[in-house]
Amino acid sequence: MIQLKSMLNCIDNSGAAVVECVQVLKKKRPATVGDRIVIVVQKQRSFGPDSANNSGIANKVRRGDIRHAVVVRVKKEMQRADGSLVKFDDNACVLINKSGDPIGTRMNGVVATELRARQWSKILSLAPMHV
Amino acid sequence: MASFSQLARQLGCSRPLLKPQPLIQSQISSRSITSAYSPKPEHAPFPTKIPEQFLSQIPDRFKPRIQKRMKIYPPPPSARAACKDPITTVKESQLAVLDPTGERGTLFDYRRNPRSVRVGDILRVVFKNGDPFSGVCLSIKLCGIDTSFLLRNELTRVGVEMMVKVYSPNVQSVEIVQRTQKRKRRARLYYMRKPKHDMRSVENVVSNYLRQQSALTGQRPSSGKKR
Amino acid sequence: MPPRLPKKLAQLPFSLGALAPQLITPTPVSIRTFGIRSLNPPKNSPYNAGPDLPVLKSTPAAALERKANTLPLRTGALAVKKGMTAIFDPESGKRIPCTVLQLDRVQVVAHKTIAVHGYNAVQIGAGWKHPTNVRKSLLGHFSGQGVSAKRHVFEFRVKDESGLLPVGELVHADWFQEGQFVDARSNTKGKGFAGVMKRHGFHGQDRSHGVSLTHRSLGSAGPSQGGGSRVYPGKKMAGNMGNEQNTVQNLKVLKVDRENGLVLVHGAVSGPKGCIIRIQDAIKKPWPTIVEPTEATQATEASA
Repeated sequence: MIQLKSMLNCIDNSGAAVVECVQVLKKKRPATVGDRIVIVVQKQRSFGPDSANNSGIANKVRRGDIRHAVVVRVKKEMQRADGSLVKFDDNACVLINKSGDPIGTRMNGVVATELRARQWSKILSLAPMHV
Repeated sequence: MASFSQLARQLGCSRPLLKPQPLIQSQISSRSITSAYSPKPEHAPFPTKIPEQFLSQIPDRFKPRIQKRMKIYPPPPSARAACKDPITTVKESQLAVLDPTGERGTLFDYRRNPRSVRVGDILRVVFKNGDPFSGVCLSIKLCGIDTSFLLRNELTRVGVEMMVKVYSPNVQSVEIVQRTQKRKRRARLYYMRKPKHDMRSVENVVSNYLRQQSALTGQRPSSGKKR
Repeated sequence: MPPRLPKKLAQLPFSLGALAPQLITPTPVSIRTFGIRSLNPPKNSPYNAGPDLPVLKSTPAAALERKANTLPLRTGALAVKKGMTAIFDPESGKRIPCTVLQLDRVQVVAHKTIAVHGYNAVQIGAGWKHPTNVRKSLLGHFSGQGVSAKRHVFEFRVKDESGLLPVGELVHADWFQEGQFVDARSNTKGKGFAGVMKRHGFHGQDRSHGVSLTHRSLGSAGPSQGGGSRVYPGKKMAGNMGNEQNTVQNLKVLKVDRENGLVLVHGAVSGPKGCIIRIQDAIKKPWPTIVEPTEATQATEASA
């Protein structure tokens, strides 16, 4: 149930930590796992003092950036085809660019398997674990 | 004088009795309330020989009644009597395919089976596609074919809950990894979602169990059903 | 000042009124001799006119012809809603929610034919009622057709005479085939006298800001003097909600059990448990190819 003003965790290494949903794309309902949304970066990760050296782990996004993202975890339970329900304790997303490729190179955190059905296999393969 | 008038006044109520009784009163007393009796008129039999043109003029209600009995047909055999509780019938036909031995049902029937799964136990579910999921059992819902249990775990420091249907064909096996230490006094342990009561990750317990299992059997942990 | 007539009309003599009906309707139309009739001749629409447009006929025969494509070829059946459950598909592992319907002593009671009644329909009865509780006129109807007294009686329209199942024939659950689609028609759950917020989804009024005692009522029932100072017909107001007929279209038949009279359809059907449901072949899907169920069942019965 991600909608306008929802705050989500960002679980990739793009540099964003907490983002806010400003738009749900391609549907008139709250977003769930696998939906594309537009977000504003509210908090960025600090990678210590060497983040200013513009090394490999520099933040790719800054606070206030408007980006696209894919929802990967939701608190609202999702029903599977066999009637089982899955829910997580937080809402989380992964930042992507306009063409749909993830901005970050790594992800930390479990994601939902529903991503595969929604053609986000690339994100699913980056994730360390899926449920 | 005064004493006589007092006496007369007291006896005044008996004055009508002293009066001579009129003759009419006796007549009234002898009269009955019922009216004069007249015998019920004899039902005149319908004349047998009447010309056709007269018969047609007589109203129907005066014609002799022909008792025409309506034939009542018996109902066909009832499907409702054959199957009083169709929902149970459908359920049982399903269970014959999904759970022929009744093992799954008894494993979660905590009302009847004392050795069943209880809330607070740590369970490990393996699905048909090979994915395992383990967690603390927070609730068991006994609901016919939709009987399900709720597992909670913490993966990569994120709480994950999964409600699994017991009779789902996607469930390969369910194992009890660890029994609860103390009988829980609640049927639904939803308070365990709160940070104060949260059990956090049960992955350590499950990996220990799997190691023990593999040591006992001397091979890789099988995905077969264990009690 | 009297209303001005258009120039053309003003020039014409007053015989136009007498001429006009003949010009517009060359074919003689039977005029009713009773009831309230309009003094004006019927007007031709200026929009839906053209030489190649088909003439809409208002005869019963034309109405039947228009309806022919949406009338099922065969009759439906009456069923009792027994509740909802789910079935698991062992191959795909899918859980399919379904409604359990039971056909109880469903029998053809009578026919309605075009020649007599103006349309083709099969009158179907279901259940059983004790004959002492049936009105004598209705009991006579049942007895005359040679069937027992029925608790529920409904009609199912069919396209033509070939769809008229013989009177007294029992309709079993295998009248429907697994995999075919049906329409389920029934009365919804009654909600009683409901306000406009529940019944029509109005927003109600404010909790405060000077609103007193009308927090859940409708705002206005219509315009005032300019609008005619009346409430227009069809104005949404409070009233009885539910217990009205609803059709759920295109429900897939998942399972059929002839012995127990069970039909399992995919998804939900309107109404409470125990209500009567009319199921018939779905009009928005191709008609099912009818396999003669009687022969197969007769063979099994003979062997058994």
